[in-house]
Amino acid sequence: MANNSSTYQRLRDKWIKRHRDLQEKLWAAHGDVISDFISSTKNFAIGSISGLMLLSSPVANLLAPPLSLSVEEKKLPVDKSVFLVSDISNVLPKEVRPLTQEEEDSISKILTRDFGFRVTPELQGIKLNRSYGYIGAEQHLARYPGDTMATHFEDSSDISKFYSSGMAPGLGAWGYFTNSSSSLSQKDIDREKYYIAVQTFLAPGFAEHTGEYITFFKFRKMLVVNPQNGHAIVVVIGDAGPAEFTGKSLGASPEVMRYLERVDGSGRGPVLYFFIDDPEDKVPLGPVEIK
Amino acid sequence: MIKHFYSYHVEIESLIVEIESLPIKEHEKKHLISLAESQIHHAILDSILSELSSDDKKLFLVHLNSKNHDRVWKFLRSRINDIENKIEKVASDLRIELYKDIKENKGQA
Repeated sequence: MANNSSTYQRLRDKWIKRHRDLQEKLWAAHGDVISDFISSTKNFAIGSISGLMLLSSPVANLLAPPLSLSVEEKKLPVDKSVFLVSDISNVLPKEVRPLTQEEEDSISKILTRDFGFRVTPELQGIKLNRSYGYIGAEQHLARYPGDTMATHFEDSSDISKFYSSGMAPGLGAWGYFTNSSSSLSQKDIDREKYYIAVQTFLAPGFAEHTGEYITFFKFRKMLVVNPQNGHAIVVVIGDAGPAEFTGKSLGASPEVMRYLERVDGSGRGPVLYFFIDDPEDKVPLGPVEIK
Repeated sequence: MIKHFYSYHVEIESLIVEIESLPIKEHEKKHLISLAESQIHHAILDSILSELSSDDKKLFLVHLNSKNHDRVWKFLRSRINDIENKIEKVASDLRIELYKDIKENKGQA
């Protein structure tokens, strides 16, 4: 029995040493990313990690009884947007260019699946000039005659965050959102708060069907997604622009830009923007979470 | 034995049979099997992570944590050429080492 016991001990000691070496090698090369992953998850507890001891410390006590290695299989709660980012990254081209129909179809399926309402690059036979492009910052829009920066905010915290963006000198493409401050509804407030400006004038068929297209685009709901962080927001088309020479394909209100974590200027980045098929007006405006 | 996303591609049953044949106690066999599995697991993870960019490493960990094996494979195949063979090779090389350890120990017993 002494020989049998030493057989186990020799193998155990050798394999523990190799195991430690492998763990240390893994952590030395990838520990920063693994640590980030751990800290980005909630309710993390050592020993409840999937993939066995993937994230176990290099100094884990492997001399402990065998049961210590029977790690419970349990999923860590992670931000669902990471899956969205990953799925989208498999479809999007490396350069920011108009998407092919196949790419748009794939993105449409992903967004529809993840958000639970129909998201599409084309609605009622109308589509924009593109569905993926650089986004720029727009200013606040006057919602009714007499609306100024002094009257624009209901919440004091919004003043500190969004006052500096200022108000556009002109009206949005559809004019005022309502006729007076007394008729200002929550819907009007949300439409201005969560608006984008898109290049309606570049939509295929716009010149031939201007009236029909303007009617279609006016406050049309769209989903805007930052493909790099998965942040998504339901907005309306509240204005037309920006001009082609800017190199930007769309603009957004200060509130939308902030939520998407997008900025204008040299740090600008691309977004996806697709129509939402919402004939009964059930999809609320504002940030939207993955189902 | 936990089923990993690579379990279909990595054969360790013969190694387990070899450990089971050792004249040692049951809990000692279990410990050795766990250590063998864990070594292979770490070697495979290291080989995969070494082929990925920093951003892709994060995505891989998320997919791994999701326990959706199809999603893990889809992701890995989109990022690493010939990933199945690379995993099999890493596991095979280590398995040979583990076999060798067992044989040496049998010789010393």
